[in-house]
Amino acid sequence: MHPIIRLVNRNLTIAINPGFLIWQVIFPLIYIFVAGFAYTALIQNVPFGNKDLDYPAFLASGMIGFNIMNSTLVSGIIIWNDRRHGMFEQIMSGPFTRAHYILSNIATIAIVGLVSGALITAVGYPVFFESVEFSLVTIPLIIFTAIAGAILFGSIASIISTRLRSSEGFNVIINTVFLFFAFVSTAFYPAAGAPEPLATAFYLNPLTYLVDIIRAGIFGAVTDFIILEMIVLVSLASVLFVIATKLLTKLDF
Amino acid sequence: MSCIETKSLFKNYNSLIAVDGIDLNIESGQVFGFLGPNGAGKSTVIKLLTTLIQPTKGKVSVLGIDSRKNPLEIRKKIGVVLQQPSYEPTLSVEKSMAKYGMMWNVDSRTIKNRTEELLSSFELQDIRKKRNEDLSIGQRRRVQVAREFMHDMELLFLDEPTVGLDPSARRKLLDFLKNKVKETGLTIFYTTHVLTEAEYLCDNIAIINKGKIITVASPQELKKKFGHEKTIQIHISGKDHSLDDLLKDIPDCKIEFNTGTVITIQSSNSEIVLMDILKILNQNDIPIEDLSAMPTNLEEIFLKVVSDSDASNN
Repeated sequence: MHPIIRLVNRNLTIAINPGFLIWQVIFPLIYIFVAGFAYTALIQNVPFGNKDLDYPAFLASGMIGFNIMNSTLVSGIIIWNDRRHGMFEQIMSGPFTRAHYILSNIATIAIVGLVSGALITAVGYPVFFESVEFSLVTIPLIIFTAIAGAILFGSIASIISTRLRSSEGFNVIINTVFLFFAFVSTAFYPAAGAPEPLATAFYLNPLTYLVDIIRAGIFGAVTDFIILEMIVLVSLASVLFVIATKLLTKLDF
Repeated sequence: MSCIETKSLFKNYNSLIAVDGIDLNIESGQVFGFLGPNGAGKSTVIKLLTTLIQPTKGKVSVLGIDSRKNPLEIRKKIGVVLQQPSYEPTLSVEKSMAKYGMMWNVDSRTIKNRTEELLSSFELQDIRKKRNEDLSIGQRRRVQVAREFMHDMELLFLDEPTVGLDPSARRKLLDFLKNKVKETGLTIFYTTHVLTEAEYLCDNIAIINKGKIITVASPQELKKKFGHEKTIQIHISGKDHSLDDLLKDIPDCKIEFNTGTVITIQSSNSEIVLMDILKILNQNDIPIEDLSAMPTNLEEIFLKVVSDSDASNN
């Protein structure tokens, strides 16, 4: 078995525990089916592309991106725990290179991100199936975006985990950053109608791009603006990935 | 065959010289003890030999492989138990051992058999289902050492493996290691602060201080080389303060008054000094209650060698 596959196997074993799975499924379910329908009284229709989506459908599609982002926290947590519990040094003194370690983390993020996205798609499907317009173009687009988004947020989590030294610092920073990403985005509500500074802030947030592209893929509303968002997302993911890799490579023993 | 060879090995961190021109040549199939005070450079040398870090200058060859040219090939053939604990907190003992075997590409049948063998050898059966984060320090250390035997290796680095172990677990580990060397021809590079352990286990010992190797020899040779001074104690019942005056001209002896009187001779000519003292005691009708000669142990030699090295450095 290739060293990267062995490390991915190990990563998935240590990262996926019942608590994580419950968090990854129960939290979105509550959001989609409780908040989604509860807010319907306030937000009846959300214009998206050439469609008017009902709020639960809008929210469920947003939750896919949100869940991908959340699941990539795994990457930061794996690196953080490996450093904290001596496993990084142990792995590096074994039959692995840093490249193996980094690539296995990327593969882990991609797998967790895709599975998580697929899970929410399946769970949320009943609420948005009426408006769905999948095609041979949109499905690969959604998968590619999910992987790019997973790499982007996984890289952010990795960067944080390599720079910090205390558990408290790690938890505070990672929760603050990801809370900002979650709520200052179009995952839960549309940018249109929000106060202008907030709407601008939405577009300084990569989660907005991820969510917009996934929504466009699901509802068949791929426009020029979505293509531009795609370019920004992939470029940002590439830059952050390079930074995360450099920091991991320089990580001292 | 030479298992580890270093030439003029040098490692510095900015202005701090951690390893200062070390030359080592370690033969296969032995337990090689690497002793030194805290901060002497032991762990840095282990990190250099295990290719975790690269030297600033000098050459390292492990199992005939150049550490700069092919570090991965070295790491595939060695086992490493580092000084710091390493564990996956949420995995159970048996699962973490099985996963470690998988990481080393050991086939699943061997993983199953070895897990059972090692759980038994290291007396971990009762805690096999416990999560690593719930273990005591000693239990965690035992798991860490046991786990390393999940894979095959030619050379094993053990950096203070007995930290946190009780005396019985410590002795069992040492016996386990001795048997492994005997049965498989494994070479072990072993660091410890417990010198009785080194004396019991090691075929050869190097003493390092301030990044430099001071001496390399077998425990017996070290004793021969540095153990000239012998310690002899004479116990006398009652506190006889006249001894202070009687023995004032005898060199290298010390008198202590506790429940009785103890005369301690520590000299390279301890036999001659003993004869002189016995003569005085006899002449003054002072009865001897007990007389004991203590063999020179490695701890005394270690302290002497390190303090001599510190003195010469200063």
